[in-house]
Amino acid sequence: MPNLVELSHISKSFGGSLAVDHVSLELFGGSVHALMGENGAGKSTLMKVLAGVYQPDEGEIFKNGHKVSFANPREALEFGISTVFQEMTLLPNLTIAENMYLGREPLTAFGSIDYRKMNSDTQAALSELGLSLPPQTLVSGLSIAERQFVEIAHGVKADASIFVLDEPTAALNAADVEVLNKHIRRLRDAGKAIVYISHRMEEIFNICDTVTVLKDGKLVGTRPLSEMTPSSLVAMMVGRELRDLFPSRGQGTNGLLLDVKHFKIGASTKPFSLQVHGGEIVGLAGLEGQGQQKFLRSLIGQFQPFSGTVAIKGKALPLPVNPAWGVRRLRSMGVAFVPEDRKEEGLFLGLPIAHNIAIGLHSARSELAIAKNYRQLIADSIKSLNVRTTGPQAHAGSLSGGNQQKVLLGRYLAEGVDILLVEEPTRGVDVGAKSEIYKLLRDFAAKGGAVIVLSRETVELIGLCDRILVVHGNTVVSEMAGASAAEQDILNAALNAEAVVEQE
Amino acid sequence: MNRGLLRLLTGGYGRQGLWLAPLIVTLLLAGFLTVRTPDFLRTENLLNVVAQVLPIMITAIGQTFVVIAGGLDLSVGSLISFTTAVLAMDGPGYILIPAAFAFAVLVGLTNGLVVTRFNVHPIIATLAMQYILLGAVRLLRPVAGGTLPDIVLESVNGAPFGIPMALIWAVVAIATAWKLLYGTRFGLHLFAIGGGTASGNEQAARNFGVSDKRTMVLAYVISSCFAALAGVYLAGRISSGDPNVGLGFELDAITAVAIGGTQLSGGIGSLPGTVIGALVLALLSNGMNLTNISPFIQTAIKGAILMAVVGLQSRKKMGL
Repeated sequence: MPNLVELSHISKSFGGSLAVDHVSLELFGGSVHALMGENGAGKSTLMKVLAGVYQPDEGEIFKNGHKVSFANPREALEFGISTVFQEMTLLPNLTIAENMYLGREPLTAFGSIDYRKMNSDTQAALSELGLSLPPQTLVSGLSIAERQFVEIAHGVKADASIFVLDEPTAALNAADVEVLNKHIRRLRDAGKAIVYISHRMEEIFNICDTVTVLKDGKLVGTRPLSEMTPSSLVAMMVGRELRDLFPSRGQGTNGLLLDVKHFKIGASTKPFSLQVHGGEIVGLAGLEGQGQQKFLRSLIGQFQPFSGTVAIKGKALPLPVNPAWGVRRLRSMGVAFVPEDRKEEGLFLGLPIAHNIAIGLHSARSELAIAKNYRQLIADSIKSLNVRTTGPQAHAGSLSGGNQQKVLLGRYLAEGVDILLVEEPTRGVDVGAKSEIYKLLRDFAAKGGAVIVLSRETVELIGLCDRILVVHGNTVVSEMAGASAAEQDILNAALNAEAVVEQE
Repeated sequence: MNRGLLRLLTGGYGRQGLWLAPLIVTLLLAGFLTVRTPDFLRTENLLNVVAQVLPIMITAIGQTFVVIAGGLDLSVGSLISFTTAVLAMDGPGYILIPAAFAFAVLVGLTNGLVVTRFNVHPIIATLAMQYILLGAVRLLRPVAGGTLPDIVLESVNGAPFGIPMALIWAVVAIATAWKLLYGTRFGLHLFAIGGGTASGNEQAARNFGVSDKRTMVLAYVISSCFAALAGVYLAGRISSGDPNVGLGFELDAITAVAIGGTQLSGGIGSLPGTVIGALVLALLSNGMNLTNISPFIQTAIKGAILMAVVGLQSRKKMGL
């Protein structure tokens, strides 16, 4: 079968560092091709070359055997290459139709933009994907999932034959992922070639048929997924096995640090209790939006639970917590909360790493106190976290996702707290950094700290946690030991919650 | 208040920004003045209002193009003065008028190129241009004076078929701007560039194949040309070239734009909003003149209105 697109010996460097090093890739119609590798392996750069965002330093792109080149994404789209990037590329203040036609708007005989044609064609393209959004809707009014579907419709509309999806599911919930998969299968069955970038193993094996692995900008290999297993794929990506990803479990526990009793998230939900001891990592598992996050966020006051008592190291935390000082209050009791979205809620991307680490220490002191520079502490942190950076003055935004996550975690570790509440410790983080973050959390626990981890990735919870609590319907429905838990058990518990006797 | 109504009033729907609220302010002001002062509704006074509002309105319309794309043009005040000085150079109209507009195009091009190519912040780039032009006009004509081509005087002060010229100027200016902003790709691209900038993704429009730098330069050229148009009108009104006539116009124009609901961060705004914003300013000063309020208090009230009307806006960042 002839290939649809061939990338031949593509190289691209940024300021001396080679991001993509002579990588070749063939894409075939009717196939979903996974592109994998740690963050910084060159996946996004390679795809941006294909999409016309970057011009390759070396190498050629062939479409149906003909050499092509694009100055910008619009030109790439005209050659049939449509890309849905991680970052939002739609313009929020334009309508769906205007976004779809931006840069090549149809004109009427009088030289005005032909809105009637734009809207009706857009309507047709949307309904082809089974979307019932009015084309005059402003994009700012759409959910993230809807925006991604609009971008896909954009490609369908332009009659693209290659669709590149760069981490499309990073911000989607389970239901939207299912809808997205449906669209991807439909495109595949229509003979399109799809490139799918994701860090989530389950998705890769669920939807893709071929995988190409990059490492440090170089091609490791291309294999049919039927020959691969998750652990062999990880081995290919990092050169080691999945079980090596997680540190060994804790050696027993000491005192009770967090004691939650008769906790009711809503008025009519079942109460639950949970205890976390020093030295252990407890995971909260469950389907999307079942109350895991509400529980954690009620401790910092961002959610108001119905009732319950919370004791931290024996001291009661009165509920509900005032959101204005919830985080500071917890901090003074020795608890740190690591939010899920490091870019929006966690880091100051425009500030140096040094500030991002020290800001927790600064905020614990009086507003008008003369700021210490914490230079040694920051240097030690960066070293112990193994943050790959040019120095403490580099902006947090310039780091890769994994290093950003390490800096975020480092801020709370530097504060010297006893309890860590961590949401999604490794979202959008590559395998190598994941392993380092797991080790940081385990080291923290080994020194007597207690950790609660909330994660969507079941594999991560099983590998990392000592105990796993499955949450469903705003209450804890099951508890299992991490060492003996299986993915299937957790899923069953989460799905058949009603059948499980409540823990009490 | 009903939430839907509140959103409608504060521009929560669409990208036109808030223009209903200032419209209501305009109508209230007009109603109030009709009741309070017998002189307000007289034809001479209304024409006076139009004549007063016209230069600010024309400048503000030009400014709207730049602001929607996420820029700002502070050089328009000096450019207005400069245009009057050029027209009063005692030459034939068919040379001076094209010369004035050619100069405006040059100023706009320079502003646009400095902003897009050298990445100078629009406020700094156009503030520098404001100083350059101020120096130039004072060199050219240190004090007010000079004579204007007849065609300028006629086209400003005449009244063909009994229609005052000010009205014709207003209609032509609004119609031209309307076509540019709502009837061309260029107009949509302005919104696209501004929307990208406001949502923190300046590359966004370019990724769609919009030539953002060229579009931005064109916006500055349009702003300059509208300022020159206002300059021609003002020169005809005062029958001389005056190095100080444009002082403060850039701030009045931005005030009108902001009252009209156009967001200074870009991407949201409308032409009707700007026209209404200029009307609010004109009615305020006219009404306060009619009711004998001190001009010092007038300025303070202008500031208060700006604060109140803009404060109503739902300052949500688009897309975030």
